[in-house]
Amino acid sequence: MTEPATRRATPSVFVSAMRIFDLSLGQMLWSRRSVFLGLLLGGPVLLAIALRVVSVLYTSGFRINGAQAAGASVFGMMIWLLYIRFIVPVLGVFYGTALIADEVDDKTITYLFTRPIPRRAVLFGKFLAYLVCTVLLVLPSVMLVFFLIVPIGGSSIGEAFPSLLADLAMLAIGLAAYGAVFALVGTRLKRPLIVGLVFAFGWEPAVLLFPGYLKRLTVAYYLQALVRHEMPQDSAVSMLLQVFREVPSVLTSLVGLAVIVGVTLWLAGRAVEQREFVLDQ
Amino acid sequence: MPIHDQGYRRYSGGKAPRGYGWAVITRAGIRTLVAKRAFLGLLLLAWFPFFVRAVQIYAAANLPQAAFLAPTPSTFRDFLGQQDIFAFFITVYVGAGLIANDRRANALQIYLSKPLTRAEYVFGKLAILMTFLLLVTWVPAILLLIVQIAFAGNFTFFQNNAYLFPAITVFTFLDVTMVATAMLALSSLSKSSRYVGILYAAVIFFTQAVYGVLFAVTRSTSFSWVSFPANLTQVGDVIFRLPLKYSTPWPVSLLMILGLIAVSGLVLERRVRGVEVVA
Repeated sequence: MTEPATRRATPSVFVSAMRIFDLSLGQMLWSRRSVFLGLLLGGPVLLAIALRVVSVLYTSGFRINGAQAAGASVFGMMIWLLYIRFIVPVLGVFYGTALIADEVDDKTITYLFTRPIPRRAVLFGKFLAYLVCTVLLVLPSVMLVFFLIVPIGGSSIGEAFPSLLADLAMLAIGLAAYGAVFALVGTRLKRPLIVGLVFAFGWEPAVLLFPGYLKRLTVAYYLQALVRHEMPQDSAVSMLLQVFREVPSVLTSLVGLAVIVGVTLWLAGRAVEQREFVLDQ
Repeated sequence: MPIHDQGYRRYSGGKAPRGYGWAVITRAGIRTLVAKRAFLGLLLLAWFPFFVRAVQIYAAANLPQAAFLAPTPSTFRDFLGQQDIFAFFITVYVGAGLIANDRRANALQIYLSKPLTRAEYVFGKLAILMTFLLLVTWVPAILLLIVQIAFAGNFTFFQNNAYLFPAITVFTFLDVTMVATAMLALSSLSKSSRYVGILYAAVIFFTQAVYGVLFAVTRSTSFSWVSFPANLTQVGDVIFRLPLKYSTPWPVSLLMILGLIAVSGLVLERRVRGVEVVA
């Protein structure tokens, strides 16, 4: 008599997510999308190189309101204007909305869903891969900008280094929060990009201008509280933002962002479990 | 169903005259988009500022206490500035997939195997996007002008600011042409409409962010030429005879806009091609 085949236990969500992570990270790092990411992150580095060259050529340096601008404050402006207000939300929209949608578009979602793993593990694994991929690419860009810009105007790299570490942590948290929000948008909606762009460049900047509680329904409200640099006043909107700026404590911000990541990922996982993905013929 | 006759029969339908092929593409594209409820919602939202401005004009014309709300030429310029964000979302919604989806479905070869030239194909696609963009910029701005005449009950404002009609027309067409050609060029570069949408957002917001850094560092607006939205603002202020916001010479801003249109045209010329047969 033949022995009955031993039943293999279904792997846990964590183990399954790690397998998907393993698979997705390689795909994400060596994709055409990473070329776009490289170009996007190369922009601030090129700008930093240009500013450094100009500061070397013109020894009087940059002046803000008549006073020579310190490299640390220029670096702070770049963190605000390029990374927090633009790169982090854009990367969140771009990767977050594509986590599942790309597999649907390429008609490869079937191969993942027919594996003996929980469906939500696919999303969690891909989210982890997104986070590692973007953090691995964003952080070197920030560090290069830091080392190019901070020495301008006699600022000390050693003194500013702790603030760099805080910036790196803040950007990683921001990438996680935006990525989780847009992962939810990507799994629930048919046109996630438009909704994502409306949220990142319509809802968030508009609501931050209003006094009251509405701004608590944004990621930027919690994320901006973690920034240690002074908010730049580059436009009338920035000045208004500073007037209505209500800064929550660091602890409140961290808890708020953790809740956003947790809740949106859980909801996105549920959506992946329940939704029927119809592939175009 | 059995086939009784396999003989040849001449086409008995009407033939569109040459050079009008683009209109078929445009009609089909507009019809497809108008059938989408989400898109209609977006269009309706884009018309909200028009209703607010109409109420403002009504109040200024009829309530002496609200005379300070009386429209000026800059009211129309500000209105067009407010429409920028809606124009951005409509551009991404309509434009991102215009060529990218055809490339994805390998439909470009089918299009170009018909009596349709590449120029007609591009123009047909361009016309779809331009129609919707003009619907949220030029049409409401001109209607506001008409509303002003209707509520005031005289032509005084219109006659005193006779340049407003051509100013609105020239500015909106320049704006819409730049935006539409740039988006169409980006759409021809990829097969994924999502990727195209993000690329377009990057072009608009990243150039603005880079200008923000340069302004914050130098406290000078002479670098505004790096930002495409700033270039449009600068040229718009010239057209509306308003004080310039940036110290960049306006011909430089205009040159940047025309340069972007030219580069977009070049990209479209290279990317929109049928199958290349290699012997």
